[in-house]
Amino acid sequence: MRRRSLATEASEEFHAPGPADFEFPELWGTFLTKPMLIIILGTVVVGLFFYYAARRGSLVPGKLQFAGESVYGFVRNQIAADAIGREGIKYVPYLATLFAFIAVLNIAGIVPFVQFPATSRIAIPLFLAIISWVIFNYVGIKRQGFVGYFKNMMFPPGVPKVIYPLLSPIEFLSTVIFRPVTLTLRLTFNMFAGHLVLLLCILGAEFLLIETQGVVGFAAGSVSLLFGIVMTFFEGFIQLLQAYVFTLLSAIYIGGALTYEH
Amino acid sequence: MTPDPSEYSRREQANAWNAVSLIASGVLVWGGVGWLVAEWLDNQIFLMLGLLLGMGAALYLVWVRYGRT
Repeated sequence: MRRRSLATEASEEFHAPGPADFEFPELWGTFLTKPMLIIILGTVVVGLFFYYAARRGSLVPGKLQFAGESVYGFVRNQIAADAIGREGIKYVPYLATLFAFIAVLNIAGIVPFVQFPATSRIAIPLFLAIISWVIFNYVGIKRQGFVGYFKNMMFPPGVPKVIYPLLSPIEFLSTVIFRPVTLTLRLTFNMFAGHLVLLLCILGAEFLLIETQGVVGFAAGSVSLLFGIVMTFFEGFIQLLQAYVFTLLSAIYIGGALTYEH
Repeated sequence: MTPDPSEYSRREQANAWNAVSLIASGVLVWGGVGWLVAEWLDNQIFLMLGLLLGMGAALYLVWVRYGRT
């Protein structure tokens, strides 16, 4: 959207989209930018959705209640029950909220006129990952005790004692440091790359169709536009998938912290 | 509520994620140590030794955690 005026002004050259497209001007103070606006809007949407879905729980659910129960049921049955087990039910509220929040912020990338996945700004996945990190470490320490938690994590049984100095740092780094980092990076850069691809397809199509004359430009522009539309649907799939993966991994980490019996 | 085959596959999936993470950590930890030693002694062979040691240790760890039944 922002690029359109740029492209028509400098009608000669095509500006390839880049990291600069993820920087937005301040709308109000230094605080409110487009990604912030999307977060606030997304929070309100998720909150209202669950509030109205749960407000009048009836035996024969209406459309909204059905949608709400579908999301909740999906997280409970497909994520919590499988990754955590019987105890998983306790963590469903967090996981369902997490899933819905990430999904909405991701999907913002293909909603017309919004068209920016707020999760491609690293602060958002990072903070969500930190919340998951705090939860699974807290749960693990509470269940196994502080010493027991790190002992079970860093000293797998059935290994010659001499090798522990070699293995323990790896386990520690993998569990305590890498988990939040990989959670963050996986989500951020999936959204970042997806948004870049969409920008490239659509802006390329616009440039080729409007700025260049002739059959070649028209043909290439059409292909680019078509590809952009296909990629938009594909992005929608990726966006839901990444919300699922983030939630599933959070659940797996919680489940692992609860039952470390190797 | 809990279909058993999917639970099995989910565990496998979790193990796969953890295994990748373990191998990356192994290479980073001991590769990092190897790099420091290499800088210190000004001999690049330690970087390679560290990387190999880390990868070997991580593979062993994956076997300990997930390979044995």
